[in-house]
Amino acid sequence: MSILTINGLVKNYGKIKAVNQLSLEVEEGMVYGLLGPNGSGKTTTLGVILDVLKKTSGEYMWFGKPPHRNARKKIGAILEVPAFYPYLSARRNLNIIAKIKGKGAERIDEVLEQVGLHSRADDPFRTFSLGMKQRLAIGGALLSDPSVLILDEPTNGLDPQGIAEIRSLILQVANQGRTILLASHILDEVQKVCSHFAVLKNGSKVYSGSVDEALNADKSVKIAAKNMEKLHEAVREFRDFKMLDSGNKLLTLRLNGTSTTHDLNTFLIEKGIVVTHLAEEKGSLEQKFLKILEASNDQTV
Amino acid sequence: MIRLFEIEWLKLKNYRVFWILTAMYFVGLILVLSSGMFLMQFLKSKGAEFQGIDPTIIPLYDFPDVWQNMTYIATFFKIIPAFIVIISVTNEISYRTMRQNVIDGMSKWEFLQSKFVLILALATAATIFIFVEGLITGLIYSTVKYPELIFSDLEFLAAYFLEMVTFLCFALLLGILLKRAGFAIVLIFMYTLIFEPMLTVNMEHNPWMKDQLSWLAPFFPIRALNNLIQVPFQRYIFMEIQDYVAWKDILIVFGWLSVYIASIYKLLDKRDI
Repeated sequence: MSILTINGLVKNYGKIKAVNQLSLEVEEGMVYGLLGPNGSGKTTTLGVILDVLKKTSGEYMWFGKPPHRNARKKIGAILEVPAFYPYLSARRNLNIIAKIKGKGAERIDEVLEQVGLHSRADDPFRTFSLGMKQRLAIGGALLSDPSVLILDEPTNGLDPQGIAEIRSLILQVANQGRTILLASHILDEVQKVCSHFAVLKNGSKVYSGSVDEALNADKSVKIAAKNMEKLHEAVREFRDFKMLDSGNKLLTLRLNGTSTTHDLNTFLIEKGIVVTHLAEEKGSLEQKFLKILEASNDQTV
Repeated sequence: MIRLFEIEWLKLKNYRVFWILTAMYFVGLILVLSSGMFLMQFLKSKGAEFQGIDPTIIPLYDFPDVWQNMTYIATFFKIIPAFIVIISVTNEISYRTMRQNVIDGMSKWEFLQSKFVLILALATAATIFIFVEGLITGLIYSTVKYPELIFSDLEFLAAYFLEMVTFLCFALLLGILLKRAGFAIVLIFMYTLIFEPMLTVNMEHNPWMKDQLSWLAPFFPIRALNNLIQVPFQRYIFMEIQDYVAWKDILIVFGWLSVYIASIYKLLDKRDI
């Protein structure tokens, strides 16, 4: 089922095109990363589909229907900075969210436990550190047990431990089969948690696809054996590959087409070669991302 | 409606500034509205008299005159609930909670309705309070206590309610327009107490303007509100007063009320929040 469909969305701020003819499709169960440099229109896009920013043109649909406040009740979302009443405690802030959503009041303790704020539940929000505020925001998004979660830079401003905690929280939520839309400029983050991603640049989409596909395209295999010469000869008989580096101690090659590391290893075993080292290395999203941006630069020139 | 009231209540019930302002409003009302007779005694002790009349025999609290006297005095305090409304809405803007409320599943219109509910609640509480206060002081001081007198002229309470609602909607509009509490509070204070009164006084009495412009003065927003409940005290020196609420003034006020509500809606509807 399609959770979110965006079609030809445009958002202008005066002459600046913050979002330009953007189309996206997020299916149920996807963990969808929205990538892009600062100012590429990620937050603006999320603001529009959450009905706090007015679109200039185009359309978007939630759960196959035109936007409505009842659709937002089924979505848990944080946009930019955590927004809470500073003079109210964490618990009372969550209570207001539950009241607005019309559900979730019975889950307040559970959610506070989940984001590690239970011991601070009755302290005012203004006494919280940035990491605690961010975790409370995620708690607020999770409160109504939503099937869709929208997270805008959820690890912004957190320390490494906080980042790790939020990531494992996102993965944990994703494993429950929820759909997540995650905007981030931290590529490592998207690579670690997302199944699909789109790259925005100057408000336009320059790439979209599955993370695995994008990374497999750049997959390489590192291989070594006691007798490197024999290995070299054997490998040469294997059909689909491209030698990236043929060192004396390690061969690095890229498999083409449908061949897998498994195929290569089977082939070598048939040839009677025992490998001492066999490692599959996926490309990093960072490399891919930079390539995509570069390619898009070429197009515009 | 009840849901919106509950949401607003959750936001305010633990907010200290709200309670301090509310307390100031009601304590101020009690002090001023209950002290009429003591004030008259004070004036007498200073040797004051009104056209030969002993101030202490002026029947400020006689039914049904008490209703116009009370509501007239009480309207001077409406600036405090206006502060509450301004602070409540500008807080939501600066904390970005208005935005988060919408993200969480309110519509912008529902958010506005929750603020209108706050306004209605404040106006209702104030009106009930003045009714009770008038009843108590009236029962203590009034020389006449027949039910038909006690419960006549209650239109002034209705007019007071309308004045509060309209003024608080004006405050809400300023809060949403200016987004900053301090700015909005200074502006509503200056406009209500200085700018508009000075302008309308000029229109009516300045020899260069009054012939052309004096007809316009009653249509100004604050003047229209003040016209609802007219000054009642000249009656104690045997002058004629307007001891009723005029339909023309009610219509002008309703006109402004609809302008405020429509502008608030338009402003928020167009705005990125």
